[in-house]
Amino acid sequence: MSTLEAVITSIQRLSATSRDLSALHDVLKGANDSLRTNSDLQLTTLDQLDPSKHSLGYLYLLDVLSCGPVSDVVPLIARFINGCDAAQIRLASEKFVSICKRLKDKVLELRDPLRGVAPLLAAVRKVQVSNKRLTALHPDCLQLCLLAKCYKAGFSILSDDILEVDLPRDFYLYCYYGGMICIGLKRFQKALELLYNVVTAPMHVVNAIALEAYKKYILVTLIHSGQFSVSLPKCASTAAKSNFKTLCTTYVEVGNCYNNGMISELEAVVVANSSEFEKDKNLGLVKQAVSSLYKRNILRLTQKYLTLSLQDIANMVQLANAKEAEMHVLQMIQDGQIHALINQKDGMVRFLEDPEQYKTSEMIEIMDSVIQRTIGLSKNLIAMDESLSCDPLYLGKVGRERQRYDFGDDFDTVPQKFSM
Amino acid sequence: MAPSSSSGLTFKLHPLVMLNISDHFTRVKTQLNPPPSSCANGNNPSSGDATFPQDFRVYGCVIGAQKGRTVEIFNSFELLLDPTTDTLDRSFLEKKQELYQKVFPNFYVLGWYSTGSEANESDMSIHKALMDINESPVYVLLNPAINHAQKDLPVTIYESEFHVIDGIPQSIFVNASYSIETVEAERISVDHVAHLKPSDGGSAATQLAAHLTGIHSAIKMLNSRIRVLHQYLGAMQKGDIPCDNSLLRQAASLLRSLPAAQSEKFNEDFLMEYNDKLLMSYLAMITNCTSNMNEVVDKFNTAYERNSRRGGSRTPFM
Repeated sequence: MSTLEAVITSIQRLSATSRDLSALHDVLKGANDSLRTNSDLQLTTLDQLDPSKHSLGYLYLLDVLSCGPVSDVVPLIARFINGCDAAQIRLASEKFVSICKRLKDKVLELRDPLRGVAPLLAAVRKVQVSNKRLTALHPDCLQLCLLAKCYKAGFSILSDDILEVDLPRDFYLYCYYGGMICIGLKRFQKALELLYNVVTAPMHVVNAIALEAYKKYILVTLIHSGQFSVSLPKCASTAAKSNFKTLCTTYVEVGNCYNNGMISELEAVVVANSSEFEKDKNLGLVKQAVSSLYKRNILRLTQKYLTLSLQDIANMVQLANAKEAEMHVLQMIQDGQIHALINQKDGMVRFLEDPEQYKTSEMIEIMDSVIQRTIGLSKNLIAMDESLSCDPLYLGKVGRERQRYDFGDDFDTVPQKFSM
Repeated sequence: MAPSSSSGLTFKLHPLVMLNISDHFTRVKTQLNPPPSSCANGNNPSSGDATFPQDFRVYGCVIGAQKGRTVEIFNSFELLLDPTTDTLDRSFLEKKQELYQKVFPNFYVLGWYSTGSEANESDMSIHKALMDINESPVYVLLNPAINHAQKDLPVTIYESEFHVIDGIPQSIFVNASYSIETVEAERISVDHVAHLKPSDGGSAATQLAAHLTGIHSAIKMLNSRIRVLHQYLGAMQKGDIPCDNSLLRQAASLLRSLPAAQSEKFNEDFLMEYNDKLLMSYLAMITNCTSNMNEVVDKFNTAYERNSRRGGSRTPFM
């Protein structure tokens, strides 16, 4: 009892400056075990503290309390997350992360993931040291967004570029969930990037997350770019290259069938393996892939013909009739995938070139933002280059293998590189 | 020493004079204060290496012609100050004057120059000593301190006048206004010196960078001046400043002389060319990024490669 009161008073006293905070942190670490066994610790004791000013102390007490049976822990934790002070939290980030995970579990138990989305979003922002660092909370937040089907909230986290990663498992989960959110928002380009990251991430043994991601990756490539290559990209790890194909044979089959371009065969394959697709919960994606085959075939037609009648299109793409062909072509024109003119009088479609002339001032803004982004990337690369040059591993290996250039300054006539 | 001259003479200064003075100063300064790399023969005193007296002065004579009320200073040459008597070397001056008289018969000694931040009392004695060659010599003073904030040239021209101060008639230096006058040849050479291209021509990259820097600073200056004009006109419109009709007329004539560049075709062409340049810089940036990426990947592979080559007889090419 006395220890509890002592702890509370020390929290109230020592929460002002950073030096006090580190002292408080040590006190709390020492008192942690005794607090766990202390039976006087109730929810009411928390009322003596203010979450925004005494965040660190509140965090410790809350952690101890939520381990045990406490009712209504969800709004408590949510209120704490919204009100806490980010600087104090970062001193004890593991505890904060474990509290948030507990929140997530509770919310999932209650089958109401929507309640956890906003607190976890705020939590991610608070625990992040910088915008470019991946934390353990990112994948949890994305998982809740997926289950609650609020994809836009999840997408706001995905728009940051991640440069530093603490745990590989967080990275895999982040990219996998992120890819799924992008698929939900129909942004297939970004989904492809994220899934590609998982598939080509370095791994020693085959990872279940990466396997699932590979299945989705195949389907999304079919939808987005209409091509399927059996071989993985060159930078994938050897474990992935040797094992993925054997473990996802049905998907590879679907991909090969897609490449041939025959709708009926593809549909037969899909129907034959639909139970497996359902098990992986990929059936919706597979159906989207099938419908995208039509688009791909029409796109191929634009490269061969200048004008075509709607009936011919229907025949070549194996659609039912000209009406359906017209609908498909119309949809594609609206999406911006092809440029064409439909003449409704005689049912002819004329395929056009890309009318973008790069003459407008909107183009200038797009180019400017793209160039700025490239400059930022270049700066990051140069920073990485410099840090690698100072790496003792690198210096050791280079020093051993380099020849001694004792021939004077004959080599520097050509400028090495034009670096900004 | 501040009051302005009342003699009514207009002074015209040629850039050659300023270049001569600054060149003289820089040369003497470098000779007194050699940079550490060039004193390989150990002539450098070991004590107080970089603390040579910075406040030394150079002296010389300016020559030119006077037509009516206009005094035009064309050229200058250097003189040594005799430290014991504090006078300029008279015999040398006369010899040089004779030589210059042969080449430029119209020019004669107009005065003298020196470097420093202000005119001193001791300068008066030198000034008086020259009065027997020219009854009213001019004193050109160059301030060698580099001040980036200062926009004007650090050159002042002084005349001597008799003023009554505290009841005693004294001759003091008074400021005289001057303008810069250039001949076409001078303009070209000043332009050349101002750009100071590297002697070996430099690589294409440095030349391009120098060229673009020049254009950038020129455009910046144009921009700031237009802004000043804009603010001025706006203030006049609001009524803060009394309307100056002659200025308004000048501004109007300037605007009317701008090329008519508002047609539709011009906009299209301009945007297309702008976009082309942007695309090219984008391509250059991507190439730059790719080369950076290549370096990073190479370094990474060297550092973290698992099976390194044993027996380093075959060194990897870059």
